[in-house]
Amino acid sequence: MKYVELINKKICEEISRHEDLVLFGQNISAGSCLGGLTKNIPIQGGRKIINSTNSENSLVGFGFGLMLEGGSSIFFMKQLDFLFLGIDHIVNTYNIIRNTNKGKSSSFTIMPVIIDSGYQGPQSSSNNLADICSMARVSGYVINNIHDAKEIISNHLVSPGFRIIGVSQRLFQKEIIDFGEQVYTGGGGGFFQYTKGRHASIVCFNFSLSQGMELLEAMKNNNFSASLFSVNTCTKINWKSILDDIALTGRLVVMDDSKGSNILLDAFLVDVNAVSGCKKTVIMRRNIDDNWLNPIADEVVFDNEQIISDLWRD
Amino acid sequence: MGLKVKLDHVDKKILENILRIRLSQMVVNEEYKAGKFKIPIHLSLGHESLAVAVDAVMRDDDRLLLTHRNVAYNLARERALSPILREYCLEGDGLGRAALGSMNLMNPKRGIIYTSSILGNNFPVAAGVAFQRKNNNPEAITIVLGGDGSIEEGSFYESVLMARTLRLPLLILIENNDWSLATRICERRCDFSLKKLADSFSLRFDEFLGNDPFEYIEKLEDLKSYALKNEEPVLIQAHVATLGDWRLQVPEHPDGKFINYHAGPTPSVELKHSALLKTSNDDPVFVISKYFNENELERMTKELITQIQYEIR
Repeated sequence: MKYVELINKKICEEISRHEDLVLFGQNISAGSCLGGLTKNIPIQGGRKIINSTNSENSLVGFGFGLMLEGGSSIFFMKQLDFLFLGIDHIVNTYNIIRNTNKGKSSSFTIMPVIIDSGYQGPQSSSNNLADICSMARVSGYVINNIHDAKEIISNHLVSPGFRIIGVSQRLFQKEIIDFGEQVYTGGGGGFFQYTKGRHASIVCFNFSLSQGMELLEAMKNNNFSASLFSVNTCTKINWKSILDDIALTGRLVVMDDSKGSNILLDAFLVDVNAVSGCKKTVIMRRNIDDNWLNPIADEVVFDNEQIISDLWRD
Repeated sequence: MGLKVKLDHVDKKILENILRIRLSQMVVNEEYKAGKFKIPIHLSLGHESLAVAVDAVMRDDDRLLLTHRNVAYNLARERALSPILREYCLEGDGLGRAALGSMNLMNPKRGIIYTSSILGNNFPVAAGVAFQRKNNNPEAITIVLGGDGSIEEGSFYESVLMARTLRLPLLILIENNDWSLATRICERRCDFSLKKLADSFSLRFDEFLGNDPFEYIEKLEDLKSYALKNEEPVLIQAHVATLGDWRLQVPEHPDGKFINYHAGPTPSVELKHSALLKTSNDDPVFVISKYFNENELERMTKELITQIQYEIR
């Protein structure tokens, strides 16, 4: 099953459990329905679907207005970049709501399709959801595979409060990653552990899990076993299990494909530095070179052999 | 000599409310001059007729969304100064439990569900509130305030478009005092016609002038009924003068540099025996004075000053 198909299925299942939801966004029940993300959303009962205007600032404010009046809603949108237009509400309006007792039992979720598939040019390709969440001090999650999709959608798509759940356009038409069983889920869907190894810990932020899986395979080919983690939260959480694993393996590769300057990986490294027993850390960030604003492939490719070599070099 | 009009119980209450709100603001101003507040407060001297009219047409289940210049509306809805003053002093038993200050002061028990200090921020929130109210309580109206500065924000246009498209019973009430901080409309932008903007959306539009509260109440009742019956927003431009201007003595300006009132205490307003600040229709107190003989207005003013001072002792 493809990534977008699985997420669409989970969204529809979750929505069908809740009466009186308001679902809105541009073209959510027209055309491709956001590339299949919002296809066949159930509209029975008290649910309302609005194919809205192109007014992201107001649409975010609208969702918070619904929240104030006890209504729950999901705003589906394309392009994280457009969400910048709504930052006033994500910061200022939500600050009012959480400073008072109004609307606390209601749910408001924004689900942007993050355009990380490349060739967009200087605009339309922002992928640093963590920056927005940090600025507003709000919860955010990214979905990489079948496990985090199930966990995040069932626990967070409709639940009291506000959050942003990002999905990757680059992954839309790819087969959904399925590990069979994950080893551990922590932080309320904030991170997942998929393998347990002896020689290294691999920690992937944002949408870099597929790069982490490639590195895992390369390590296996070199007779090393590694623990593989995916951090799905966009803000700092208690990642004790990850730190405990790093203390055991002693070697860490941490990767993040975000385009921002201050990325969540940096906040994580602050906590890693406090861990005793970590002999070596290799940090893999997206390479921002001179043509990063041009319509380029926007792919993140890491040299796994070099990583392995660096990991064991004294 | 002023005209004596038939002052039945309801009419007298309206006049008394306007005076009470004026005098309460003057008390706040005195406290402000004395350095009693840490928070910024934007007085709304001159907005009393509109505030009392909005209060008069609101039912218990109606909703009101305000801006940073909300003092008159909060006084109108709460009918008391003390809880508001305690909030301004950030006391735990103030109206907002010291969590809101002035710019974000709201009173959900009295229908003031949201107050924003960000220009234009409350318009889309009002659209969301109105949408939810329409589905749960179709006889309730939502009223959102803005100023002539806030209609310059993109969110205003977006919200009008959204409210019209979604057929929301929403009164969008723009208080046009001509100023945004320290610039008049003519200094910061071209003028444009709100009426023509309303027409372009096929929206009903009305203009409020003159500060007569009874006229405002009658108009607001009519507009509210229209919005509810037709399930569409209504755009209202109310011309107000935010009173409290003064002249700053500086060498470059022999007559004193004109300073329009925006925020903080105003040195040109003193609480003595009269609530009147300007002898023109810019001042709601001047407008309502025609409904009293001179002694009656003076007597009511003295009584109210005593009541307010007793309330906040």
